[in-house]
Parts: sequence; structure tokens; C-alpha cells
Amino acid sequence: MRLTTVAIAVAALAGALALTLRHAGADPSGEDIVPVSNDRASAIAMTCANCHGTDGRLESTGIPSIAGKPEIVLRSQLLAFQRDEYPGATVMPRLVKGYTEEELAAVARYFAALKPTPEEPSQQP
Amino acid sequence: MRKPRFSRFHFNLSIVVASAAWLFAAAAPAVAQRAPWERMEAAAKLLDVAAPKTDAIRLDLPAVTQDGSAVPLTVTIDHPMTADHYIESLHLFASGNPSPEVAEFSFSPLAGEARLSTRIRLDGTQNVIALARTNRGEWLAGAREVRVTVSGCLTQAGAFDGDDFMRTRVRAPNRLRRGEAAEIRTLINHPMETGLRKDADGQAVPERILTEFRARVAGQPVIHAKFHRAVAANPYLLFHVAPGQAGTLDLEWTEDTGKTATATAEIPAA
Amino acid sequence: MKKFSLSRREALKRMGAVGVGAFLAAGGLPVYGNRSHGGQRVAVIGGGFGGATAAKYLKRLSPGLDVVLVEPQKRYYTCPFTNLYLGGMREFETLGHDYRELSRLGVRIVSQTAVDVDAEGRRLRLADGDSLSWDRLILSPGIDFRWGELEGYGREAADKAPHAWKPGPQSRLLRRQLLEMPDGGTFVLVAPDNPFRCPPGPYERVSMVAHYFKTHKPRSKVLLLDAKDNFSKQGLFLEGWKENYGDMIEWVGRSNDGRVVRVNADKLEVETEFGEIHRANVLNVVPPQKAGFIADRAGVTDESGWVPVQPRTFESKQVPGIYVIGDATQAAPMPKSGFVANTQAKVTARAILADLAGEEPPEPTWTNTCYSVIAPDWGITVAGVYEVHDGELREVPGSGGVSPMGAAADFRKREAAYAEAWYAAIAQDTWGSR
Repeated sequence: MRLTTVAIAVAALAGALALTLRHAGADPSGEDIVPVSNDRASAIAMTCANCHGTDGRLESTGIPSIAGKPEIVLRSQLLAFQRDEYPGATVMPRLVKGYTEEELAAVARYFAALKPTPEEPSQQP
Repeated sequence: MRKPRFSRFHFNLSIVVASAAWLFAAAAPAVAQRAPWERMEAAAKLLDVAAPKTDAIRLDLPAVTQDGSAVPLTVTIDHPMTADHYIESLHLFASGNPSPEVAEFSFSPLAGEARLSTRIRLDGTQNVIALARTNRGEWLAGAREVRVTVSGCLTQAGAFDGDDFMRTRVRAPNRLRRGEAAEIRTLINHPMETGLRKDADGQAVPERILTEFRARVAGQPVIHAKFHRAVAANPYLLFHVAPGQAGTLDLEWTEDTGKTATATAEIPAA
Repeated sequence: MKKFSLSRREALKRMGAVGVGAFLAAGGLPVYGNRSHGGQRVAVIGGGFGGATAAKYLKRLSPGLDVVLVEPQKRYYTCPFTNLYLGGMREFETLGHDYRELSRLGVRIVSQTAVDVDAEGRRLRLADGDSLSWDRLILSPGIDFRWGELEGYGREAADKAPHAWKPGPQSRLLRRQLLEMPDGGTFVLVAPDNPFRCPPGPYERVSMVAHYFKTHKPRSKVLLLDAKDNFSKQGLFLEGWKENYGDMIEWVGRSNDGRVVRVNADKLEVETEFGEIHRANVLNVVPPQKAGFIADRAGVTDESGWVPVQPRTFESKQVPGIYVIGDATQAAPMPKSGFVANTQAKVTARAILADLAGEEPPEPTWTNTCYSVIAPDWGITVAGVYEVHDGELREVPGSGGVSPMGAAADFRKREAAYAEAWYAAIAQDTWGSR
């Protein structure tokens, strides 16, 4: 399972990079790309907490903990979900399609910046 | 089974509809805040008076509904139903539907009460409008706004179960008190295809609806309905039969193909 | 209890022209650290998925804010997964969550019933006669039943024919009745018309009852009498019932005379619209519903019995300063689910903090995932992402939807496993305990 995840992450890497490059220059469609603020990223990230735990931290339950995962892995996975390129995915493709690629990239950056475990012991009783 | 006849009150209804075009010019005064029935051509066309009575029709509908495919509607008209003064016709419209006509009903005094319930289709938030005419030519009007939303957790109407096609159900009271009108509930299984829906292959499903419903007690007409495609699938109709009209209730539904279905019930004596 | 009140204008003045930047704190959330909300109080009524989440996130986002949670129960039992309890897949106690973690975060817990709300005076009254003032109020009152609207189904009838639509003694009563029912008996569930709490709930419930029957009382029957002609995840449920339970579950929709008009709880009989009498060994009636009573007291309900809200913030359309979240609201196309209440709480917490700071509310986003467990290895989902578009709530086009029909057994099995994982996660996110 882990190996599959890594394989998918690597496979999706190229796509993610291509996306970055595409958005580095002027958007060919002529539309301005609105930068996604960290505030917006955190608002979206809060909707992840219902399944992935507050701040994306979860003790092993079968749903992965996402805080502190490498940005490129998170981003590749989110984009793979969005493009229906993640084999065996269940609910994630339906959810991430509610957001833009830029928003997903910002959410990946957001969770990657978090520590995998909280600094204060305020997680579990 | 009785053969349908061209009843007298059906004839009256035809007059009303046929007169509409003649009367249109007189019907729509330009007022800043016009009533919903004045803002809708189909309704305004019917009205041959400038100021219908607006305090006698009550429309009971949910103010907000999640499912526009079958919105319960009850129309109550506060008016006598006596042989010399009664509600002769009732016209229902939905202002925001692709075609505004929902249904028309003709009553005879045998209906006992000018009150009925049904279920209708509403394509989004809009006004439901009721116009009624007495046998003396007076008009009554009422309207009610309904907000229609669709819940993400609700599926749209699924495939129709063909085994029960045009299966009818009717319920009359087992007992009646003296002076009590009989409440009659009817239901017929029919998809009421609007002609607007596409099937799984993207092909338009042709319109196929029930167009008429008649009820007679002891051979005498009680109510005659003309349905349009805004009547919800599996048409449901609740109406009344006047006190003292014991006997066999004959019901007949007619499809646009000409196919009919019937049902009977016994109305007990009080 | 300390009493004070602060008008909105005073509050705004006190806030002054503080910075608008949000900063990343060690925990990862942007803390509105340079806007001290000190001295400002937000009261939250109701400690379920909506209220507990709102209190927790308000405190996390603005540690200086005085957050008070008013909830009479010391331990809160969730509606989600009561069906798994009924099916014998969980112990009832695993559905209970306390407020210790919220308390540790600095939320003040008031274990009392709020009995009245004075919107003008910005004050609420508690059952013990004490009162509490607020600068902003969040109501997350859940549902109440319209007793008697279904003929023959009043409070007393529920002692014989339980609703079990609010967890607690009713859930235990229904479980006991199922355990005592002889093999070969009939379980009848009466489902209401829309809107009601948890749209897929009645259908998951009959699935779980069928699971219990299949494993313990295989000659028994399940009859679902429905006031509707279509329901949430209908195709997936019908498929799952057939695959797992054959013809044990019979669903009768409204147009096949499924609408129940009268209940006789003493005889365990129900009568349908067209006069059919159905006899049950165990009768479960889910009655028509409305917003929890405190919403009425606060003047935020309309004639529908539910609460109209401003789409962007969930502030009441009728009473400024009062925000309403969860099942009590008219939030379609969002369903009345615990998951949605949790995401509504987060959006509303941010909107209130912005309001207290005199700022525009941030762009909202809400999600939902309703898991339903049809059998221990058979789960299904419906998901949605919601936004405000042209001043109305809507599902983001192209997002959301249900699990595929005809999916492989492994897919269903994983969604069932994820259902369990989801429950643990949302309980932790809401109350801080699994």
C-alpha cells in the first residue's frame, strides 16, 4: 500500500511540476490567477480535519495523518485525485473537485508546514 | 364502466377558456406592484374582472421545500358549495415553470367543499397561483411563494416501476357523521413524463401524461380535472363529496394516449 | 455568573484599527493574535457536532476570546453510528464524548439547559434562573419533534414505539426490543417526509437491523414505510440490500401507499394513507421534525419551523448577532448531517471573529461526507462541496456525488472501514476524544 502511494506520488510529480511551470508565466487563457492566501488555505484545511483529524493529525485509524508530509507528495496526491488518476480512491476525488488546482497546492503547502505531532500535548486525553 | 360524457360543467369550463382571448385586453391594468396573477399572462388572460376577491383562497404549501418534484399543495376556498352559488372552476399555475399551467378543476355542488390537495412539480423558487370562478361569474384569486432547493443528499426521481403502471388507489371514509362531507383520496401510478427529461442515452423521453380525471357519485359529476405536466408523477388528488351523497363513487383517469383506468369506492350513508 | 454586555458598536470601537493579517501559530492555524478579542464573549448553545466544534475552533483561532458552551449533558452521545449500535456492531458507550478537552482548551462549559434568549438584550437565561450575556451567540440546537403531527404519535407513544432519532434511552429501548423480538418477527420503520435529520439515516438503520436479523433472527422481516418516493443514495441502498439481505428488506414509497397517517403504539400497528394496516413486532417511528426549541425562543425560526440564515456566515436572517448552525438551519443543498454541522461551525467561527474585528467575513467553504454502513464490510458514501454563488448556497459544480454503483467488494469494504475511521476522526476534531 505504502509503495503504491509513493509510486503514485512520483508518477503525479511530473504533472504537478508541469502545472507549476504553466502557472509561473502568464496564463494562456488570459485570466488572472488569483493567488491563494494562507488564510484561504487554512479555511479549506479545516474541512479536511473531519476525516484527517484536527490540523491533519490523526492516530492510526486507517485514514492517513497528513500534517508534516512532504508538500510535493501531498500535492501530487491531491492532483491525482482531482484527475481521477489515483487508483482505488473512494471519496477524495469527489471532494477535491470542489477546489481549484491552486487551492489544492496551497492546502498541500499548508499541511506540509505543520509538525507531524503537536508541540503541546493537547491532542488526546 | 360508464362511458365518459361531455358534462355540463365541463362545457362551462370550455367557455371560460375560450373566452380568455376576448377578455385579455380588459384584464391587465398597468399597476406598479401588480399581483402575481396579473404578472402572468396565462393567468391574466383568464380573469375578466380587474379586481378579483383575494381573501377567500388559501394555498397551503411548504414555504421551503427540498424536492421540487412533488410539492404538496392544498387549496382551500372559503365559499359555499350550494346548488345556486358554488365554485365552478379552479385554475392552478406555477409562475416559474417552463409552462405555467398546472391543472384545472371543475366542481359541481356535489363536491360539497371547494378544497383539494395534490402534488405538483416546481422548477425552482416561484409563485403558485390559484384563480377560481363561481357559477355567477365572480373571480377569486390567491398566490403563494415557494422556495425550492435541492438537497445534495437526495437523489432525483428514479426509474418508474413499470409493473404498477396506471394502478389506482382510492379511499373513502368507512363512516360518516350526519352533515359531514366525505373526504376522498385518490392515487394513480403514472410517471407523468414531461417531455423535458433525457434518458440514460441522452435521448429526450417523449411527453406522456394523464390529462383528465373524473369523479361521479351515483352517476352525477362531482369533480373533473384537467392535468398538465406540472402535476407530479403518480398523481394524487384529495377532494370531497357533499354530505348525504351516499352511493358508488366512480373514478376515471385518461391518458394522452386515450388509455383509461378506473376505480370505485362506496360512500356510506351518514 | 459574571454578567456583562457590550454593544456591537462599543465592541467595534474597542477593536479599533487592528491589523488584519493572520499569522501561523505553532499549532498551524492562523491565530488572530494581533486582534485581541479579550473581553468579548461568544456563547454557544448546544454541544453536538456544530456547537462543540464552534467553541473549540473559536478558542483555537482567538485564545483571548471568552467562549462559553451551554450544554446540559455532561456526556454527549452522537446520532451517527447509533445505527451500528442497533445492529450490534458497537457498544453504546463508544458513542459518548465529554467536554474535558474543550475545557482544557479554555472553553467555559456551562452544564445547563438554555431556556430562553433575549436577542435585544443579548442575554440568555439558564434553567437555574441565572443569565449569561454575549456579544455574539451561536445556536446549534439540533432538532425537536413535532409531537402529534403524525396522528397517534405523541411523547407517550415513543415509550412503546421508539423513535431513537435522538441518542440515549430511546436508542437503548429500541435495541432491547430488537433483542427480545422472536425470530420470524417484523421490524417496521416509519420514515418521514423531507426535511429531517440525517437523510440516509432511516435507510442505514434498516440495513443495520437486517444485519442483526441475518446473524441472529434470519426468518425475520424488515418493512420500511416511507412518506417519500425517493431518498438519499437510493440506488446504492437498494443494491446493497439485495446483495447483503436478499428480500429481507421491503421498502414501500409514498406512491405505493407507504405514507403512514396513523400510529397505534399500543397495538404496534400503523395505518397508511390508503387504509392498509401494518402490524409490527418492533415499531420504530421517525416523526416529523423542526429546529430545537431554543431557536423558537430566540425568534430565528420561520413558519417552516426551521431557521433561515445568511448563506455566507449563517447569521440569522431574522435576528442579527445570532448565528445558527447544524440541523436546525435551512441550508439546502447541504444535508442535515453531523459532518456538515462541523464544517458550518468552522466557517461561522471565522465569520464571527471577522465581524468582531469589523472586517468582511472570509470566503466560506463547506464539505460533507455521509457514510452509511449497509453491512460490516459494505459502506457507501455521498459527498459534497458547497459554496456561495450569487448570494445562494450551492454545490460546487463538478464536485461531490455518491459511490459508484456496482463497485467491487473491495471498494465497499474500504468505505466501510473508512466509515469507522471517519467517526474516530470527527469525534476527535469535535470533542477531542474518540
